[in-house]
Order: sequence, then structure tokens, then C-alpha cells
Amino acid sequence: MSIWRRNEAWIGLAAIDSLVFVLLGLLHPSFFSSFNIFVLLNTIALSTMIALGQMVVIAVGQMNLSLGSIGGLAAVIFAGAMQTIGLPPVLAVLLALCLGLVCGLINGFFTARIGISAFIVTLATFAAYKGINLGLTAAQPLYGIPASVKLAGSASVIGPVPWLLVPSLVITLLVWFVLARLPLGRQILAVGGNRQASELAGVSPNRIVILTHALSGVIAAAAGIMAVARLQVGQPTIGDDWLIPSFTAPIIGGAVLSGGRVGVAGTVCGVILVSLITQALVVFRVDPYYVQFALGCMILCAVGANRLRMGRRLGAG
Amino acid sequence: MNKSALSPLDEPRMSEEMGRVGLTRARLAARLASPEFSIFALAAAAFGLFALLTQGFDSPFNLFSLARSAAVNILIGLAMMSVIVSGGLDLSVGAIGVCASMASGAAMQLLGWPVAPAVIVALLVGAALGFLNGQIIARSGLHSFVVTLGTMSLFFGGMIILTRGQPFDSLPDAFSDPMRWRIGRWLSPMLPLTFVVAAALAYLYRLTDLGRGMLAVGANSQAALLSGISVRRMITLSHALAGLLAALAATLLAMRNGAAITSMAGDLGQDWLLPGFLAPILGGTALEGGRVAVWGTVFAALLVTIINSGLLLLHVGDFWVQFFLGVLLLSAVLIDHLRKHLLAKRRPSA
Amino acid sequence: MSMTRRPVPEGGRTLRQRISAAVLALSLAMLPFTVPSAAALAAGTGSAKIAIVAGGPHPYFASWPQAGRDATRDFHLGAADFKAPQSWSLSQQNDLIESLASQGYNAFLIFPGDPTGTRNVVAELADQDIPTIALAGCLQDPSKAAFCFATDTEASAYLGTKALIKAIGGKGRIAHFTGFLTDPGTALRMRGVKRAVDETHGSVTLVQTIADIDAPEAAQDKISAFLATQGKNVDGIITTAWIPATVTATALRKIGDKRIRMIGLNDDPTILNGIKDGFVTGTMVQNPYGQAYAGSYMLGQLIAGCKVKADAPWLKTPQTDRFIDSGSLYVDESNITTYAAAISKITQSIVSSFDKTYVTCP
Repeated sequence: MSIWRRNEAWIGLAAIDSLVFVLLGLLHPSFFSSFNIFVLLNTIALSTMIALGQMVVIAVGQMNLSLGSIGGLAAVIFAGAMQTIGLPPVLAVLLALCLGLVCGLINGFFTARIGISAFIVTLATFAAYKGINLGLTAAQPLYGIPASVKLAGSASVIGPVPWLLVPSLVITLLVWFVLARLPLGRQILAVGGNRQASELAGVSPNRIVILTHALSGVIAAAAGIMAVARLQVGQPTIGDDWLIPSFTAPIIGGAVLSGGRVGVAGTVCGVILVSLITQALVVFRVDPYYVQFALGCMILCAVGANRLRMGRRLGAG
Repeated sequence: MNKSALSPLDEPRMSEEMGRVGLTRARLAARLASPEFSIFALAAAAFGLFALLTQGFDSPFNLFSLARSAAVNILIGLAMMSVIVSGGLDLSVGAIGVCASMASGAAMQLLGWPVAPAVIVALLVGAALGFLNGQIIARSGLHSFVVTLGTMSLFFGGMIILTRGQPFDSLPDAFSDPMRWRIGRWLSPMLPLTFVVAAALAYLYRLTDLGRGMLAVGANSQAALLSGISVRRMITLSHALAGLLAALAATLLAMRNGAAITSMAGDLGQDWLLPGFLAPILGGTALEGGRVAVWGTVFAALLVTIINSGLLLLHVGDFWVQFFLGVLLLSAVLIDHLRKHLLAKRRPSA
Repeated sequence: MSMTRRPVPEGGRTLRQRISAAVLALSLAMLPFTVPSAAALAAGTGSAKIAIVAGGPHPYFASWPQAGRDATRDFHLGAADFKAPQSWSLSQQNDLIESLASQGYNAFLIFPGDPTGTRNVVAELADQDIPTIALAGCLQDPSKAAFCFATDTEASAYLGTKALIKAIGGKGRIAHFTGFLTDPGTALRMRGVKRAVDETHGSVTLVQTIADIDAPEAAQDKISAFLATQGKNVDGIITTAWIPATVTATALRKIGDKRIRMIGLNDDPTILNGIKDGFVTGTMVQNPYGQAYAGSYMLGQLIAGCKVKADAPWLKTPQTDRFIDSGSLYVDESNITTYAAAISKITQSIVSSFDKTYVTCP
């Protein structure tokens, strides 16, 4: 896995992102307004968390189908703790993150220690965690969100930079650091790339898998907390529609589903592309009946273009 | 013989180990230890448990309802299974099903066609969309997950554009009548129909070159290519087969609803993903491909339908049903895993 | 994803222990659920055992359980129990309804999972002499439901838009945020809005409709994007779905905009607070409690032998010819403290006038 190959994937994508961004602004000047950039960055902040939560699991060659359910459960626990027992926001955040950790550990335990495929495990826990969510809330949203949390979700650091971007950036950098610079990261990618080889090299795949699922759970919980802050309501339906976006961005960013090859930069660029496109569909008043069709076309084009470029390079190199 | 956990080589060793017991005993033991039988046993156990614990589970009305739901779930599971065995995934089964159903609805309502040709239209549309999936995947070399992620939106969105979200609800009575037939007091003919389909699939994978080719591609596409199998053709055909089965499932569902509606499988057809993957995998079809368990898929879909129905009748608190379902499914997988493990333990040391 | 081989003796035992422990834990987790819940079939005195079936999880149905209990008490029914499928899936609702029929419920109030797709299961119920009333949402005619008892969504959208047009002074540009395109009700709402706009003969134009946003994140993304890029170009927004209404109210508050007039749907606290603080002009309130409460009474009468009158003053909607309006009210700061009582009066009047208007009783 050479450095150049990895970098090239996301550079091309970043170029497309910039092109689309400039194009949209030229066609619609209000696109560059401070408020719109704020809105865009807010969306990207949350979507990045969702994509990263899935990306780390893809790195070990598995999937986490319960990502949205963990996020939703963490969201309602976060909101519920503050509303029903008056827990201060900071402690509620810690509680929700711990919950995410536990959920991830459960996933990892059943996958690694008992040896059932992650696909099945997370399919079952997807239903189970969602079920706990529904059982606790009876589908009722939680409105008792403290003002400080609401502020965090809607305030900006400077001008168009939303406050929510800060935790998102921090987590993104952390994940990048772990994957690119720490031995742990190399081990994760090794297990994903070639499990037997990594075992022979002395890495314990089970430990790595459990850690990865736990990390995914924590990131999912963080995303759930951010969603509550952004929506200003503890909605039990948070996470219901995370499954497909969680895969789209990493895949557009060049991740390989069998594991061993992911890119944080690529994933982020993928997130940006999808967010730009979603916004564009609103800005250009695309007939609501055409939106889904357009999104499907774009996913295929983006991935196809990515593939063409890689194919060309592989053919030449 | 089933493609079970034991390879054909184990049989003679086992019977040797058992001394004079004979090959038939060994074969019986092997069959009992197969994933298919264990899922069947689980389904039977669940059935018995719910019949005992609840009132109304084994009432004719409930069994009738169960049979019809199971028929649809089995077909969805078989559709996904056909793609999984050749090494792929198909997220667009729900979307293809809805498109096929709306096409036949249009044929009946707008063109006035009778039921039989309209159903054929549905099957053809399903196969065609699946064929399209297969072609894109085979020619581009992209992972099927990604491609079907895109085509799911494409197909569903295209359908929404053409229909504007409006259902076809003035369908001839003859269309929904089959769903009302009963054999005896509770058996819907739809269930035996799915068994016939399953038998056809089992025949396909076990005894035809086409089916074995699909399995080979799923097991190791390079090796398959080297041995002269057209990988491209196999992938295309397995996706087309999945589309066909999805269309059949959607047709049964439309018959039950008495109308072709765009929301029959949820937004983008997502509602079918869980039952679609659960049945084959619980039933013993390997996710990586190359191994198939047709009857396992059938019994697993039955199991899930039974659990769902039983939970409803147990007066489980409204909103806890889904949790319970997830836990039960995990238990079912665990028990199956334990079985496999105990079996591996009993084998002569590897 | 396959298990790595372990030497069988020692590793096997540990694995077996782990699996057994897990199975035990799971069984314990499931135990509480195997005890049939005490509220199985309530111990009412009447013979009507009503099942109130929602379409899926949604805050709209929050008042239905209590309404059922109150109705059981007030009208001496056998039971009026609230049931909901775990998700908005038509198949799940069908399974639930059939299961409830197997459990002995003999009357149904159903929010149709789909106006056409639910007709078959209602017909099956009718074949077993089980009456059904479509509640808060209608079945598309022809159907075997006794009638439909709901808010007239097209009329509600129409009235809301007229209120909006009045609030922006009779001329200007408006936008419409609404629900899922696969829900034919959405098309009805769009019709209602269009009708109100057409009646201004060009003074008011509908510049954009955003649909498919009755879900938190989709609503958040698209509404924010709209306000950011088109906000200056509109004078008013009409929302005809729950989540877009609350998200728009929150967004307008965030950007401190009181210029854009907004009409919401339902009386979610976010919207009521918005009205109080001036960000929301008004909202169309429906009558969910009244629907379940009065609906239970109506079913009780049907079970007791009353027959529906063909020539009653039914309302006609594009979906059905037998429609009873459950009442909706426009709420703004002038009646924000009194609307609850007003709605309750509407419910009472529906109950007291039902017998002589819509049925003939033995």
C-alpha cells in the first residue's frame, strides 16, 4: 500500500469537490453566504462522524449495521438522562459515550470471541438496540434539552464555522492519527488486509476486532449526541437513515469492503461531495420526484469515475 | 447429499469410527447435524413454544396469516441468497420488487391486461433490472454493494418519477383472489408454491452446470475463470435470478394488499434488507459465497416469521418487540454456532 | 469472516463456556417478556373489545392510549387498547392486525399503513363481522371500513395556506414543506395549498415545494439549505407535516427571523413557543385525542347493533364518500390559551351528535 496510491485517491476527489463547490456558487451566489456555509459545515460535521464510524469497521474487513441504532440509543439516553434525572450535560455526554462503547464491545465480543460473522451480529444488534430505544421512549421525542446543549448545536465559533465542527474535527484527526501513525492503526489495517498474515506476525486479531467495534460504537454515540444538539430534541428516530450514508462516503472515498484499505481523507471528501449534492438538489429546486433518481446517478458516477482513474493508473503502473 | 458442515470425506471416516453401524446411520447422523436440519429444528421448537405459551397461535386464522407472511419472506430470502452464493450483495432487491409490481399494476390498470400476462410482466421487469445490475457489476468490476447502493436509488427514484407516488388500486379481483384460497383450514397455497421454487433452486445449484458455475464464481472467481467459466455471465445471471425472485415476492405482496403501492417495501425498498439477509445467513449460506443452503434459507425465513408472529401474540409490551426479536435472533445464531462447534469437536482430530 | 482453527480440547471448552454464558444471559434477558402482560385484555364490562392500531411509531399517536382508556371508562366498553407496529411497515401492520383478530378483538380503529394497501386486511376483518373505522387517515374507496373519521388533510392545508396568505398581506412568494411522496396524503396536501394559491389569481406564487422531509435529518439539511439560499426570496412558509414544522420553527428562531411568516402543523411545544415568541404565525391543530376517544364510542355503538345510515351528511373527499371530520383549528396567539378547550368541545359535540346523525340504533 504505497503512500502515493493512497494519496492520489483523495486528491482527485478533493478536486471534484472544489469544482462542484465553485460551480454551485457561480450558479447561485447566495451559496457562498455565511449562513449557507454554516449550514453546510454543520451537515458535514455530523455526516463525517457517521462515515468514520463505519469506516473503521470496514478497515478490518467487516461491517457495522447497528451504527444507526447505537447512535439513536445514545441520543435518547443522552437526552433522557438530562431530562429525567437532571444530569449535567457533560456527564450525560460521558454516559452516552460509555453506552456507545458498551454496545460496540458487545458487537465485538460476539464477532471475535464467539466467532459469528459481524454481519449477522450487527444485524441482530441493529434490531436489539433499536428495540431498547423504542421501548424506553415509546417513540416520543424528548424535549427537555438544556439551553447549553441547544447552543452548542446552533452556535458558531467564528462566522460560518459551527461549534459542532470542533468535536467532529477532533475525532477525525484522532482517527487519522491512529490509523496513519500509531502501531494500532497499522494492526487494524493488517487484520483487515490479511488476517492470517497478521496473526502470524503476532497481532491478536480478536483484540483488534473488539477494539475496532468499540471505537465504532463510541463514534456512533458521539454522532448521536451531536444530532441531538443539532435538532434540539431527543428524537428516537435519530440514526434510522444512517445505514446507507455510512457506507456511501467511505466507498466514494476509496475504501475497500474486504478491508485493509481505507482513507480518512478520502472519506471526508466523500462526505463533502454527498453533502454538496444534497444541498444542490434543494438550491436548484430539483423536482422533488427526481431527487432520489438523481442521487442514484451521482453515486454510480462518482464511484465509476473513481474506479476509472484507479484502473488507468493500475494499467499504466 | 447436503452441502453441510461435513465434507464427503468425513462420511466413511465416521462410519469406520462407528464400526459396523453402517453407512446409512452415518448419513442420517450427518443429515441431522447439518445446518438445514438445525434451523428446521429451531423453527419447530419455536412453533411449539409459542403454541404452548399463547392462545391463538395455532388457530387456523393465525396459521393462515403466518403461511402468507412466510411465503413472502421466504422468497425475499431466496432472492438475496441467489446473489450471495455468487459472491455478491444486492441492496436493491426491495426497489426491484416494487418496480416490478408497479409495472404489472400498470399493465392491469392502464392497459387492461388480464392477470397472468401482467404477472409475467412483473417477472420480466424484475429479471431485466437484475440483469442490469449484473451487467454493471460484471463489466465495471465495482463491488456489488456499491453498485446496488446506487441502483437502489436509481430504480426506486425512476419508479417514483413514472408513477408520481400514486398506487394502482383498481386491480381485477382475480388478482388478489389467490391470496384468499385455503387448502384445508389454514394452508395458503402460496406456501407450497415457495417450496416448489426452493426445490427448483436446489436442483439448479446441485445438478446443473449453471448453478454449479455460480457457486464456483462465488467460491473463487479467479479459479472459476481459469477453469473456463464465464464469470461475467454467472454474475449477470445470478443477479437476474435475484430480480426475478424479488418480483415474485412483490407480486405475492401486492396480491395480499390488493393493490400495487410504492411504499410496499419501505423507502428505497429498505424494509426488505433485514429479512433478505437474515434468512440465507441464518440458514447456512456463507456470506462470502460459494456455499448454498436453499432449504436452510427457507426454514430460517419460517423461523423469523414464526418468531414475529409469536411475539405479537405474547402481548409483549408494544415497543419492546423489536428488542426481543434481536435477542432471539442472536440466540438462534448462537445455538447454531454451538452446534457447529460441538460437531467440529466430535470429529477425529484435524 | 471465518473462525480461525483452535486446538480443540482447551480452546473448545473456553469457547463452549463463553457461548453457554451468552445464551444464559440472553435467556435471562428474555424472561420478563414471556410473562403475558397484565393489560392483556382489559376487564371492562362491555362486549366491545376495540383495538386502536397506529401506523407506526410517531408522536402523533401519543394521546391515543389514554383516550382509549378514558373511552373504556366513560362508555362502558370491554376494552380499547392501543397497539402500534414497531416501524412504518405495511406488512408489519397487517400482521399485527391479523394477530389482534386472532386474540379476540372484535372492533378496530385503524390508521391505514397505506390507503389502498390496508383495504384487503380490512375486508378480511369484515368477512368475520369485525367492524373497522379508518382513524386519522382514510382508506381509498371502495373499502369495507364503516367510514373514515379523520382530519380533512386537503382542507387543513387549504385553510393553513389561506391563513398564511392573509398574514403576508395577500401578495408575495411562499414555499411548502411537506411529507413523504409515497404517501398519497402528500399529494392531497399539495392540492390544498395549490387551491389556496390559485384563488389569489397570481398575487401569491408558490415558488418551491420540498417533500420527503418528515424525518429529522433530511428536514434539518434541506430546510436549512433552503433558508440559507432562498430565504430572502420568500415571504411565507406553509408546513403540512410534523417534523418539517418543528424544524422550520427552530430554524427561524435560530436565525432570528420574524419577517418570514410561517404556518405549522400540530401543537408541538416548539411550535407553540414559536407562536408565543413571534417566530411562528400560527399552526393547524388536529384532534388526535378526540379521534381515538370519539372513535371508540362510535365503534361501541356499532358493536351494540347500530347500523350506518347511507344518507347521513357525509363529507366527500378524494379518498372516500363517507367521511366525518374530526375537527381542526387554526391556532395563533389570539387563541393559544383557549384552543385546547375549544377542541375538547368539538370532541364532545361529535360524540353527542353521532347517534342521531350517522347511525340508526335498535
